[in-house]
Amino acid sequence: MQTILKQQNIRNFSIIAHIDHGKSTLADRILELTGSISKREMKDQILDSMDLERERGITIKLNAVSLNYHYGNEDYLLNLIDTPGHVDFSYEVSRSLAACEGAILVVDATQGIEAQTLANLYLAMEANLEIIPVINKIDLPNANVKKVSEELNQVLGFKQEEIILCSGKTGEGVDKLLEAIVNKIPSPKERDKSPLRALIFDSYFDPYKGVVGLIKVEDGILRVKDKIEFMASKATYEITELGVHTPNEVHKDLLRSGEVGYFTAAIKEISQIEVGDTITLASNPAKEAIVGYKKMKPMVYSGIFPIEPNKYEALKSAFEKLKLNDSALTIELETSDALGFGFRVGFLGLLHMDIIITRLEREFQLPVIATSPSVIYHVYLTNQEMIEIDSPNAMPEQVKIARIEEPYIYTNIIVPSEYIGSIMELCQDKRGVYKSVEYISSTRVNIHYEIPLSEVVYDFFDRLKSSTKGYASFDYEICGYRESKLVKMNILLNGDIVDALSVIVHKDFAYERGRAIVEKLREVIPRQMFQIPIQASIGTKVIARETISAMRKNVLAKCYGGDVSRKRKLLEKQKEGKKRMKMVGSVEVPSEAFLSILSGERK
Amino acid sequence: MKNAVYIHIPFCKVICSYCDFCKVFYDSTWAKKYLKALNNEVEDRYLGEEITSIYIGGGTPSSLSLQEMEYLLQMTRKFQQSSNIEFTCECNLNDITQEKLELMKKFGVNRLSIGIQSFQEKLLDFLGRNHTYEEAQEKIKMARKMGFHNINLDLIYAIPFQTMKDLKKDLSLFLKLKPDHISTYSLIIEEHTLLSVNKVNPISQEEDLKMYETICKYLKRKGFVHYEVSNFAKSGFESSHNLRYWNNEEYYGFGLSASGYIQDVRYTNTKNLTKYLEGNYQGTQEFMAIQEKMENELMLGLRKRKGINKQDFENKYGVSIEQAFPIKPLLKNKDLQEKNGFIFIPDDKVYIMNEILLKMI
Repeated sequence: MQTILKQQNIRNFSIIAHIDHGKSTLADRILELTGSISKREMKDQILDSMDLERERGITIKLNAVSLNYHYGNEDYLLNLIDTPGHVDFSYEVSRSLAACEGAILVVDATQGIEAQTLANLYLAMEANLEIIPVINKIDLPNANVKKVSEELNQVLGFKQEEIILCSGKTGEGVDKLLEAIVNKIPSPKERDKSPLRALIFDSYFDPYKGVVGLIKVEDGILRVKDKIEFMASKATYEITELGVHTPNEVHKDLLRSGEVGYFTAAIKEISQIEVGDTITLASNPAKEAIVGYKKMKPMVYSGIFPIEPNKYEALKSAFEKLKLNDSALTIELETSDALGFGFRVGFLGLLHMDIIITRLEREFQLPVIATSPSVIYHVYLTNQEMIEIDSPNAMPEQVKIARIEEPYIYTNIIVPSEYIGSIMELCQDKRGVYKSVEYISSTRVNIHYEIPLSEVVYDFFDRLKSSTKGYASFDYEICGYRESKLVKMNILLNGDIVDALSVIVHKDFAYERGRAIVEKLREVIPRQMFQIPIQASIGTKVIARETISAMRKNVLAKCYGGDVSRKRKLLEKQKEGKKRMKMVGSVEVPSEAFLSILSGERK
Repeated sequence: MKNAVYIHIPFCKVICSYCDFCKVFYDSTWAKKYLKALNNEVEDRYLGEEITSIYIGGGTPSSLSLQEMEYLLQMTRKFQQSSNIEFTCECNLNDITQEKLELMKKFGVNRLSIGIQSFQEKLLDFLGRNHTYEEAQEKIKMARKMGFHNINLDLIYAIPFQTMKDLKKDLSLFLKLKPDHISTYSLIIEEHTLLSVNKVNPISQEEDLKMYETICKYLKRKGFVHYEVSNFAKSGFESSHNLRYWNNEEYYGFGLSASGYIQDVRYTNTKNLTKYLEGNYQGTQEFMAIQEKMENELMLGLRKRKGINKQDFENKYGVSIEQAFPIKPLLKNKDLQEKNGFIFIPDDKVYIMNEILLKMI
């Protein structure tokens, strides 16, 4: 059992890193070294508990564990708060960091500083955290410790002697890291007597307990049976359980200032608890909430439809289940002439969208069609009113629109300097506005542009990768709304508008996008029994056209007849193929076609 | 009960670049062992019914030596043959000799199927074959003289870099040989063939269709009946063995990799020669339930240009074809047509008949 420790023996910290720099492996090693988990129990990367997370090597949901650590004759409690490593989840990262006093900045010895290294570091600095720089994976033969420590020194100003060298894989240097956590990271302040303020930095749904909130108590003491109030939503509940994860659950009667743990309060829906909100006591409320709370808002929206129309109810219930654990997901009904009944779903970003679609297919066996993702446009009408549009089909008539604004991002693109030219070309193509180039080392740069978010949605990642042979890393933050000359472009198949294929494009780029889309569709839609014209149009004006020729041959024109089962297999294979298709009017469209228009690559 | 017999001879002296049937290079030791194993299979499987057609195919049956061929033909005497049996043997031009023809005649072979494919040198080279028009003339003359009154020629088209002119030349040369039956084969680049290994690209669907239409038109003009997707015959020379397949009727398949359909079970023998020689001829088998039978009836029956007889269908399966399949909308759409009690695929859609089947199956 855990003894009650004074605040000065507590350390609250996060590990931050670029994707694949070994954060989770390092966390596992810390767990092992503090005896929280035996080697035998150890499944690699214990903190990444979803299969999908393990597979992709990323953390999607946060976790927090409390570890006992004995050092210099004292017992310490180390609270490790894990963070997701992707820009889609940067608000959640910022809230987790707000619960800490320190952060371990992990940099891969073979890679050096990358875009998310910086993005995460900036978030940690905003939260005034003590940073411990760590160079990881020093066991690898291609590790270049000298170069990476120079980068840490030159770009981020860390001194040579404060950088810890370690290997999450072999465990080398991890003991030094634990000592540094104790010695360098400040303990949380003792403020047991102040009115209660606890920061909610994550939540999840437990089928037995309902919603579980992860919190850090900043001021005061939180006890079981306390009547609490959420300061943003004003909702009140009674605490039914308090505890910590070690990583197994350990119940506690109270959590005092400086401590990290979880609570339950008979909350049924995850939407009733908001990350970043502050808990206080209903009887003795704090005057001010902890700063930094924002309502989580989806950044991209996409129409999600079942391939088989009769799977609508199944899709609905799948979304309900996913939503239990994902408060960032917003879901509304949507009907499409082409695709029938489905949902307009809001996501934090493209990775988030990708994860949800994959989970629908894998965990719920529901293949879906996703339409081209849209950002939120601010449309100012001629009557002065402003409306927010998250779908091309919600766009008002051209004559009613005074102007349209779209969200822009500010980029961190880190690449070897020989790719500056290709990155600039790419960003210009993406309507980017050049800001600056910073040298990280003599050979690597950080390139800043302001680019419309909608352009990032459209084939930016693929082109970034291919134009830099995979060397670029990319991160961004939203930097506001700007006016743009935007128009809605329709796609017609066999003369009929397919609403699910409509997109909003910049006027000056419309022709090019139109061409790319119709060409792509001609490639992905197979020949059918009749000729199919594909057109891109703005208003009534057709700006691009392609034609899929009619199918001329689908028969076994062969004389030998005996092998009937082979003929059948051929037919059955073709039938399987048709199952992945959606009837849109008179045309069979493969489900990939709806997203394929996002990739601008041409043959 | 009547039945039919297919016998597979998997030996070839030359391997053609496009062929994906089961075959090996001819070797007399293997051939002898093989014929023994074949004999055992026939004795094992044959239930003694009257046999209305025998088809010896391959591979190249004519690659067997005279002695081996006699052994094989002797074996066919085990079958209770109808008086009007159709008895086909596939032959390669180069193998045809007076002696072999006499032997075949003696044992009742009354139909020859000769794999000519083309007479254009560049195409024959590409296909890995080698013969001349003069040779064909001579051998066919020999066969006619011997009393073979039913001769089929195989024609391949849709060969890469084949021109329409090439095709027309072939057609006119084929016709000069006065065949009674022509089987056509649109070249498919099958997996595991030399062509697919060499990454040969097929011709376009448009060209393929154009050639097919040219063949159909030409042969029709010359008095052939287009009775099945790929088969053409002078009136009365439609192959009864082939029709048995398209009528979804049962037949024996003997030999390596042969397929048969006996007592509601469709089977394919092993493709492994060693196993076959050891007497393990069993490969895969599948019981045909009524739904599957009806679907096969559709898939096979619609290959006949005349189509499926509605009354026959109902007699066979106890339900009407309309009850079994959603054919009404297809009739309306002209994907199917109905005439004199037959349901068939109209001329302009024969070449995309799989699309039509997929709407029903």
